[in-house]
Amino acid sequence: MANASEINLLEIPPQHILDGLIPSHETVQLSASTDICLDGTYGTAYLLATDKHLFAISPNGDSTPHTERIPLSEITNLEVKDLFGNSLLKVRTATTGTTLARFTKGQNQKFNRITHQLETLVKDARKTEEKIAKGQLGRAISGRRCDVCGTIISRRVGVCTNCLDTRKLLYRLLAYARPFWKLGTLSLALLLTSTFIGLTPPLLMRELIDGVLAPSENYETTFFRDITNSIYGMPTGYEILYFLVGLLLLINLSQSGLRAIRSYILSVLGQKITYNLRNEVYQHLHRHSLSFYNERETGTIMASITQDVGRLQDFISDGLQEIIRDIITIAIICGILFTLNVKLATLVLLPTPLLIIATLKFGHRLHRTYRGLFRRWAAISALLADTIPGVRVVKAFAQENREVGKFQTRSEDLLKGEIKIAGIRSIFSPVMAFITSIGTLIIWLVGGTSVLDGALTLGNFVAFTQYMWRFYGPVESLCRLNHRFQRAASSAERVFEVLDTQPDVTDRRSAYAMPAIEGRIQFDDVTFSYEPGKPVLKNLNFTVEPGEMIGLAGHSGAGKSTLINLICRFYDIEEGAILIDGRDIRDVSLKSLRNQIGVVLQDPFLFNGPIAENIAYGNPDAALDEIVAAAKTANAHDFILRLPDSYDTPVGERGVRLSGGERQRISIARAILRNPRILILDEATSSMDTETESQIQEALYRLVQGRTTFAIAHRLSTLKHADRLFIIDKGELAEMGSHAELIAYDGIYARLCRMQTELSKLRAW
Amino acid sequence: MISHPDLTGDLSLLSPRDIRLYLDDFDDLTLDLRGEIHHRVGVQRAFPFNAPTKFIVLLNSDGAEIGIVRDLGDLDSDSRDALEIALEQAYFMPRILKINSIVSNFHVPTWDVETDRGHRVFEIPSSRRDVRVIDDVRVILRDADGNRYEIVDYRLLDPDSIVFVETIV
Repeated sequence: MANASEINLLEIPPQHILDGLIPSHETVQLSASTDICLDGTYGTAYLLATDKHLFAISPNGDSTPHTERIPLSEITNLEVKDLFGNSLLKVRTATTGTTLARFTKGQNQKFNRITHQLETLVKDARKTEEKIAKGQLGRAISGRRCDVCGTIISRRVGVCTNCLDTRKLLYRLLAYARPFWKLGTLSLALLLTSTFIGLTPPLLMRELIDGVLAPSENYETTFFRDITNSIYGMPTGYEILYFLVGLLLLINLSQSGLRAIRSYILSVLGQKITYNLRNEVYQHLHRHSLSFYNERETGTIMASITQDVGRLQDFISDGLQEIIRDIITIAIICGILFTLNVKLATLVLLPTPLLIIATLKFGHRLHRTYRGLFRRWAAISALLADTIPGVRVVKAFAQENREVGKFQTRSEDLLKGEIKIAGIRSIFSPVMAFITSIGTLIIWLVGGTSVLDGALTLGNFVAFTQYMWRFYGPVESLCRLNHRFQRAASSAERVFEVLDTQPDVTDRRSAYAMPAIEGRIQFDDVTFSYEPGKPVLKNLNFTVEPGEMIGLAGHSGAGKSTLINLICRFYDIEEGAILIDGRDIRDVSLKSLRNQIGVVLQDPFLFNGPIAENIAYGNPDAALDEIVAAAKTANAHDFILRLPDSYDTPVGERGVRLSGGERQRISIARAILRNPRILILDEATSSMDTETESQIQEALYRLVQGRTTFAIAHRLSTLKHADRLFIIDKGELAEMGSHAELIAYDGIYARLCRMQTELSKLRAW
Repeated sequence: MISHPDLTGDLSLLSPRDIRLYLDDFDDLTLDLRGEIHHRVGVQRAFPFNAPTKFIVLLNSDGAEIGIVRDLGDLDSDSRDALEIALEQAYFMPRILKINSIVSNFHVPTWDVETDRGHRVFEIPSSRRDVRVIDDVRVILRDADGNRYEIVDYRLLDPDSIVFVETIV
């Protein structure tokens, strides 16, 4: 917890309010602003604590602020309440209770810390160790606001656009390219060479026209002429022509060659970078605890491996080099144009700003409209995904016409959107073409006049026209640069978010391998919460002997599954300790712990692959004998033999579909093969018909022999083999004992039992 | 890894010394299990692809399991011959040697192939569900009627056939 001096002493109210309020011998220990006044209007009020008193200062229109003062030593209780529209801090003394602060939910976190600090101050003042503070606030709504700057984060983007430091991200990205700097430099060199070469043909054209086809008097000897002279002595027109054509051929050939090599190198470079990044991200994903996955959508996590990494590759390998090429091309062309003729060059570049503006404007609109269109498509898919699986309901209620109507409305929206896009697009290219043509017209008009005047050679004129056409492409593509940067940056952010999140459940540095487990499990005052302030399990204390079977029962949401998650150490507890054979499970390595725990879940997950592989998932080296034996013990052998390819039959998404009971038996076989010392059955028999259930019961009964077992069940009959039953209620261990003892106790368990008996009577009827 | 003390005890393995297999006068597989005679015995491979000669399940005429032959090689040669004949009958799976063409009509590819049992044309309804690749090189095909075909190692086919296979898998 942060200490008092660290927090918001900056949020001190104006001095004139403080004057006279605080006794001179007291010093301010803590001060914070709220955003709702005590009278319920928005505004800045303050909460202030000295070493003796707690103050609340709330503005009261133009008159003197309303103040409250409570001696710290009298405070018996501090309570923060998370209500529907706002939160508040209530302070109680032995005789009175006062609301000292109201604030919007965005400030919950801040006041969580403040309450803790207040508690310390109160304890100091009262000289007591009693617990004063009560209740903690949840975070506003997790994930909606950036932790750093508080900006709202769009769910679609998933990262804070405000904190996105594009340059820093790109720099970090380049770090991934660094190991391949040789390839990168090579391809950049090739790129530059081919760009240079690619820009020479208009100069040759000029040479051809001015030197050969229409020799001009103004024509100055150039570099090319020097070369031809040195080869041919005094060349004839034909000889120069042949030479130039040959040179052009050579240029085109070398350019094609360079392009081929460069594109290959670039692809290799890009793929190698993404290969590394992709593997690193995936590897890191598997180091995270379950809470990482709870906080994120599966789709987003998957996208960061598939889409985002791909986008980054595209940017690193293609994007960057294209940008460099465009900039160089523009610079060189400008240079050449101005060397050829300053006046004409200035005129030719005149339409460029127009071009930039048009591209940006259209690009923006097009982008926006496309996004709208994307939403409309999504709306149609959502409708289909909704109604087609629900077609029985639609028919049963005879609502076909309404559904068709709904679809038509959305389809029409889409039609309108598409037409709008078509409109923008069909305007876009002609406008661009027109703008570029202005440049040509200027050349024709001004350049043509100059040629007639004899101020400009025909060759220069032609060269000008050609360079101008080559000029606009790069300009346009640079205009789209920002969009490209943004996309790459948000992808990078998502990828780095995965890489930067530190796994919260990890091996300690001193972790040692768990020796063979005997099976004594001890909960020592365990308290656990997924979110601060909302404990799911409270002060659990119990010991389970080796080989004992414990049935866990209680209402849903009581904390049964959480208890099991803690034994597997899917999460780390904050208070207390869980000991297995007297060893704190946080002191041993995760792998050695989980290797000795077997889990059978309610809805067992089978991976794509043959049945045999699925049974041997926890022990890939298992002998075939063991696989068949495990399947037999799990009552799975017979139905496996009825499958088309027996144990080699593929299951999962791409294979045969198995019923819930069949999958369950496979997962039991999986657990049997693993021969765990601690066994966890999470609703292993729910949602099965009675006959299947008895088969599974039988298999489970064999499995639990000699292992410490925790079984959760809603159907209490499943727990008949349990040595002891734990009844969890609202996170606490409410009842504990054998079936008979608990029935005699006549508490929660007895009530649950009665309810289920009634139910089964109803079913029998 | 934790060793497994007594799992194999649960297997209903048939000891090779206790059994004799032969084809009776009706050409049906018959099992002599320590003098107890089972007629019209059915055979099933527990691991038809990964271990075709191991874990052969013997079934009685009602389809119930009599026991498991752990390894074909453990049997005496007469029994082994009889069992191999029965298996060969049950698991008819020609090997594809060459693919002449794969033509798609309405997304249903028609394969025209040469197998070790002769020329054959068949349709594969879903290349997702009916084509299976084992160990990256072995391809098992199931046609629209459920017949099986096998390519032992598709990389050893002629280049044209390889291209055909790679477009599907």
